Amino acid sequence: MSLLEAQREQTRARYPDDEGYVEREGVRVFYEVYGDGEPTVFLLPTWSIIHSRYWKMQIPYLARHFRVLTFDGRGNGKADRPSGIGAYTEWEFAEDSLAVMDATGTETAAVVGFSCGALWGTVLAANHQDRVRGAVFIGPSVPLAPGHPERNVHSFEDRLDTDDGWAKYNRHYWLEHYEEFLEYFFGKMFSEPHSTKQIEDCVSWGLEIAPETLIESHEALELCGTERFRDVCARVRCPVLVMHGDEDALHPLARGAALAEATGGRLVALEGSGHCPHVRDPVKVNLLIRDFVESLR
Amino acid sequence: MIVDQAAREQTRARDPDDAGYVERNGVRVFWERYGEGEPTVMLVPTWSIVHSRVWKLQIPYLARHYRVITFDPRGNGKSDRPIEASAYDERELAADALTVLDATETERAVLVSFSLGAHRALLLAAGHPNRVSGAVFICPSIPLAPRPSDQFSYPFEEPFDTYHGWAKVNRHYWLVDFRGFLEFFFSQMFTEPHSTKQIEDCVGWGLETTPEVLIATAHAAQVKKDEARALSSQIAPPVLVLQGTEDAIEGSARGIALAQATRGKLVLLEGSGHGAHARDPVRVNLLIRDFVESIARRAA
Repeated sequence: MSLLEAQREQTRARYPDDEGYVEREGVRVFYEVYGDGEPTVFLLPTWSIIHSRYWKMQIPYLARHFRVLTFDGRGNGKADRPSGIGAYTEWEFAEDSLAVMDATGTETAAVVGFSCGALWGTVLAANHQDRVRGAVFIGPSVPLAPGHPERNVHSFEDRLDTDDGWAKYNRHYWLEHYEEFLEYFFGKMFSEPHSTKQIEDCVSWGLEIAPETLIESHEALELCGTERFRDVCARVRCPVLVMHGDEDALHPLARGAALAEATGGRLVALEGSGHCPHVRDPVKVNLLIRDFVESLR
Repeated sequence: MIVDQAAREQTRARDPDDAGYVERNGVRVFWERYGEGEPTVMLVPTWSIVHSRVWKLQIPYLARHYRVITFDPRGNGKSDRPIEASAYDERELAADALTVLDATETERAVLVSFSLGAHRALLLAAGHPNRVSGAVFICPSIPLAPRPSDQFSYPFEEPFDTYHGWAKVNRHYWLVDFRGFLEFFFSQMFTEPHSTKQIEDCVGWGLETTPEVLIATAHAAQVKKDEARALSSQIAPPVLVLQGTEDAIEGSARGIALAQATRGKLVLLEGSGHGAHARDPVRVNLLIRDFVESIARRAA
């Protein structure tokens, strides 16, 4: 961390007990370890639009009970920003996650994945069944059920003659009005009233990745097909808990419900929550995570 | 409490252990008591634009250590809403506080007041030194020093064509757009970023009273400069003044002047606006607690 970064970062309720880099095929990601309880709770990265500080309401609480592991995924935070769509697939994130577990001597963990993090969390649980004791997915962005129709109106690739609403989810708009896109996107992510602080945090994290890189990471996620992902889900053997806000404006509750069904997991619908219940309703989510992790012992 | 209010009220971190009404000259005032500890801390009401829920971030913490008493000011909450200016004379509010102390069998209390509440707290502390063991003033609205130039500086009685900024402190505007005034006023009270919840709460409490009540309070007799100076010099119990450096309602000169005039301790809260106890509650609560503990040590 450069001095400038250190000065800019907000104070934390809890600082890591250990941290370091893991390199895999030339790409470095940055991990942190908090606490030394049992078992390990592994807070996975999500889409590279934000980095591991988005777990800041979970880390201090969970680290009082468990060993907590998290890392900045490729593309944001203190991780590298490789170029190319192939660098940002769910398989790469899953393999990075495994490499972080290896580097930190983490034999098994309960994984927690948010939004896109549910993609690599599922891949990790399916491909490395002996390493994942249980999986919690929050607001999963998985292609198992249709998305909100209003997100499906405009092309991502083509230049549009409007920037109304979800038309901002467009490569040309990102390249020209990146900060406005971030403000719009995170405004949708936090649909609850009084979310100005959470939106401000996320916008500033979003500015840590260049729009060119974010475009590549978006295109990589588009490659995740329904049938292939359904096969992955069928190979998950561990207990699964899915939490999904019924006011989620990014990904409908139906997606969370479908993931719970496909993995044989339990669904908790969070009334009134948007896409980020762990940020806007952290006490409730932390208690649900803790109960679930305790049940794995 | 009528059912409609009960249904509307937010859930509380802590509910009162006892509650009741006192009545003076036909005006009923509603009080609450929380906890059993020693000593008693009385959270004094402020301007009737809000009610006792303005202390919601103090009550649960302080009640774990002390006995906490608060009440809704006449004009808001579950208290009556007289519309004569004389009913809102600061001496009436101070007498209400004393009556609540009596009704709750509270021999002595540490007073914690906020903004306009400083007037009634000063009257009570100076006039009844045997009932007050200490006084905390948060961003006091006491005329010992001028306000920032613009605040409350436009004619209150005169109608204008438009009402921008502080010109909204105007009876005619209140009668046509009360909510507009409340939204402006509380946006000035909470100048810290991310204060939307605090502003929304206060606007909601403001809407529990009427512009007619607030107009009456604007005409009521307050403690004037010379009297404030005299009362401050008389005050016997220890004083703590907490003053936000970014107070956009009162400025910081008034808090500093009150600390000097009362020979009290001054803590400047860097970056805080007028509602410091609502936006930086942990810090303010710890300062209140340290102060209460220091009084207890002195007494022992």
